[in-house]
Amino acid sequence: METYAALQVLWWLLLGVLLSGLAVMVGMDMGVGTILRYVGRNDGERRVALNIIGPHWDGNQVWFILGGGAVFAAFPLIYATAFSGFYVVMLLLLWSMILRPLGFEYRSKLPSAGWRNAWDWALFVSGLVPMVVFGAAIGNLFHGVPFQFSWNLTSTYTGSFLGLLNPFAILCGLLSASLSVFMGAAMVMNGAKDAIFERARTLARIGAALAIVLFAIGGFWVHGMGGYVLTAGPGAGVPQTPLQQSVALADGAWLANFDAHPALWLLPAAGFAGMLLGLLAASARRSHLAWWLGALGWLGVIGTAGVALFPFLLPSSSVPAQSLTVWNASSSQHTLLWMSGFAAVFVPLVLWYTSWAFYVMRGKLDVADVVADEHAY
Amino acid sequence: MHDIHVVDLSRLQFALTALYHYLFVPLTLGMSFLLAAMETVYVTTGREIYKKITQFWSKLFLINFALGVATGLTMEFEFGTNWSFYSSFVGDIFGAPLAIEGLMAFFMESTFVGLMVFGWGRLRRGQHLAVTYLVALGSNLSALWILIANSFMQAPTGAHFNPVTMRMELTSLSDLIFSHDAQAKFVHTSIAGYVTAAIFVAGVSAWYLLKNRHTELARRSFRMAVLFGALATVGVITLGDALGFVGAQAQPTKLAAMEGLWKTEPAPMPFNLVAFPSQQEHVNRGAIQVPYVLSLLVTHSLTGSVPGFDQLEQQATARIRDGIPAVAALQTLSAKPNDADALAQFQAHEKDLGYGFLLQRYAPDVTAATDAEVADAARDAIPQVAPVFWSFRVMVVLGLAMLAYFVMAVIYTMRNRVERKRWFLKLAVWMIPVPFLANEAGWLVAELGRQPWTVYGMLPTWMSASTHSVGYMAFSLIGFVTLYTVFIAIEMYLMVRTIRRGPDDDHAGVIPHDRLHADRLAGYAEG
Amino acid sequence: MRTFMQFLLFMVLAIAVIVLAILLGDMGAWYFAWLVGTAMIVLIAAAGGVLLDTQDEHAAARRAAASADAR
Repeated sequence: METYAALQVLWWLLLGVLLSGLAVMVGMDMGVGTILRYVGRNDGERRVALNIIGPHWDGNQVWFILGGGAVFAAFPLIYATAFSGFYVVMLLLLWSMILRPLGFEYRSKLPSAGWRNAWDWALFVSGLVPMVVFGAAIGNLFHGVPFQFSWNLTSTYTGSFLGLLNPFAILCGLLSASLSVFMGAAMVMNGAKDAIFERARTLARIGAALAIVLFAIGGFWVHGMGGYVLTAGPGAGVPQTPLQQSVALADGAWLANFDAHPALWLLPAAGFAGMLLGLLAASARRSHLAWWLGALGWLGVIGTAGVALFPFLLPSSSVPAQSLTVWNASSSQHTLLWMSGFAAVFVPLVLWYTSWAFYVMRGKLDVADVVADEHAY
Repeated sequence: MHDIHVVDLSRLQFALTALYHYLFVPLTLGMSFLLAAMETVYVTTGREIYKKITQFWSKLFLINFALGVATGLTMEFEFGTNWSFYSSFVGDIFGAPLAIEGLMAFFMESTFVGLMVFGWGRLRRGQHLAVTYLVALGSNLSALWILIANSFMQAPTGAHFNPVTMRMELTSLSDLIFSHDAQAKFVHTSIAGYVTAAIFVAGVSAWYLLKNRHTELARRSFRMAVLFGALATVGVITLGDALGFVGAQAQPTKLAAMEGLWKTEPAPMPFNLVAFPSQQEHVNRGAIQVPYVLSLLVTHSLTGSVPGFDQLEQQATARIRDGIPAVAALQTLSAKPNDADALAQFQAHEKDLGYGFLLQRYAPDVTAATDAEVADAARDAIPQVAPVFWSFRVMVVLGLAMLAYFVMAVIYTMRNRVERKRWFLKLAVWMIPVPFLANEAGWLVAELGRQPWTVYGMLPTWMSASTHSVGYMAFSLIGFVTLYTVFIAIEMYLMVRTIRRGPDDDHAGVIPHDRLHADRLAGYAEG
Repeated sequence: MRTFMQFLLFMVLAIAVIVLAILLGDMGAWYFAWLVGTAMIVLIAAAGGVLLDTQDEHAAARRAAASADAR
């Protein structure tokens, strides 16, 4: 039982790590997509921005695939309930995301201004929309989502599409988009010079400033928001279904974990520190430092949200007792154990060769480089 | 409860998106290794022509790869969005291979594909070759994990149903990974990809030879592709047989559908070369039969026999009746997890739980089911025969045709005179769509033949779907069809354009600087 | 010394490959067949390319010899 509970917590932590990996790596590429039309005033400059992430977007996107796969493997009920409940939103996310591989690969294949312009817009949409949806999805967890289970755990979503676009969710969506703009701009600064660098620097500062403000507003909002409390249930490390617990609603409940363990305040502090220092680093033209600080900011933001909700993963607003938690939505001990083994071997390996790929492709690009390289995007 | 129209629309959407995705995947699987072979020649002999060959084919590889990646995202989403009960019911087993696929294979493939494209000037020759091999290995390992997951649906092993959590749970990962179905299916599918790539490369090369363009590139590509494809085709057919052999044990209803076996016959059984199965009357309206061959094919002996639908339907009826107490006990356990009597009753009938679910479609309260409802459910236990029967024949005939083509091609190219056989070059161009058709037919055999189950014998398709409204399904179907149609048009256009322009074209092109600063472009950016 | 270290490294690699191959051949014969078969298919395709270059050279040499004889 202790082993199982420990594995459940471990996978909750790993989920946080993977979501942060997704936010940092995919968010950065999407940020570049979002700002593409501003940092690049003409085709050559836009190609520079695209080619800075050109060798990496594909590998980075796997963080997204892995995020989905890990939720599926470690918390199948979350995967099943959230993906089907958020149907329309998920499709918008998906449809905007599948434009991206094509945008990168096909954009520069034809020497037509209209063609490239259209793909630049596609990259803008596929940069902005998924990041807003990503944040909004997390934001909706705080309010809870209207779903319920039948006796055999068939889930039914009873809400509407528009219900998912509530003000708090939009705030979270904008926060996530701002952070992705910051990371994308920092990445463009890493790889570009002169005018492109300067425009990216402006955007990095705007992104970071917005993110700080939105994160602070979000904090106050959650402070007064009604949260969920797990009052009775089989508890951690016990195989169970979501039909066996009781859940109460209480104002300010989302801050209970912080009150109980004040050390957790370090997480929002890390979020603010990362974003604020990132802003300063970008202002000082220290783009690599700014990028790493932005990553710290993401970790702080995602950590804050995760800890606030813990042990909830997906609260049900229509039948709170059927809310999904780390304890009732996780996979079996056997599966979690195997997955931990694979993660222990392959996550370090992935980080190692990803770093090598960035090392190989290090350095700055300008328009002449891109034009000279026939393999460039 | 599930709306049966929503289930059908969900199936249609999954089939469309999977078949579409599967247009691009096999080419990636094979082309990556073919590129590795080409680059191997470049690195070992140092002849520049092979660098040019590798780079040219990798352009086409990437156009295809992008759409494969994009449509693969859909597949990752769709289990959750449209098959949510399936996902929670078997996620404990099915999710793990998908996550491992990302971690072990897709990361490798995607990270190194970036270096493969952008690394020519930055990596040493040997390093770049290693990167190309890693892309090939990564894409095929990716297929491995996906097919391990798929084989759980075909021949579930390494898992059991846990009434406490109301779902299937993993008991042995190694049973899952090394299941015979997974092994045979992976090898069959992976090298079917090799064949696809070989026919594509040989076909495009033949077109160049016919036009007398880029002949040095085309002759070499043709030779390499043809050898690659000939060996792979032999492998695909061998593994196809192995898969049939495995499938005969694991999924008797699929086998009976593939062969149009309505009645169980004594050994040696004849093979239906051509037949017109009628689902209504449970007979074949007219058939051309070859004596003895079916026993030889599926049991590798003249004395072996396999059950037809008459026997299979009887077995299903018995199992449905046995599944009734299992479902009833489970329903009790859901409300009262500690009920010992219900647990004992469940365990006694556990093996037929899936058949009980099959009945629930007609009788939501299974304990009150009538004989007519049991008979309806038993009839459901048989897949639609005609589509499986014909898809199987299309796949086999195309496979044999490709074998014949490759044997001829090897003879001509080894004599080094294929340039003069213009009829054969024309044939080679026309062969390009053939492996794609065969791949799709193979998917149809595997997945239509598995019906009415998503997990064979365990979980019926009708229960697996998400509880959406028809309106939601119409919205998503229209969206997918529209987007995917636009995508394929763009992809085909770029493919054909790149082929027409040939290896000497700078694919990126450069918009002249005066046009770069044209008001139109600048105007958007200023705004 | 350097040769010896290389020898050791390759011996260790060879033994690791043998052990892995035995295990894999035991548990997943078809997987093992795929590994060996793919390597073979790739190498034969590569050899076919090299052979074509050799055939071309031979043909060119024969043509050159024939034209020399004719003269």
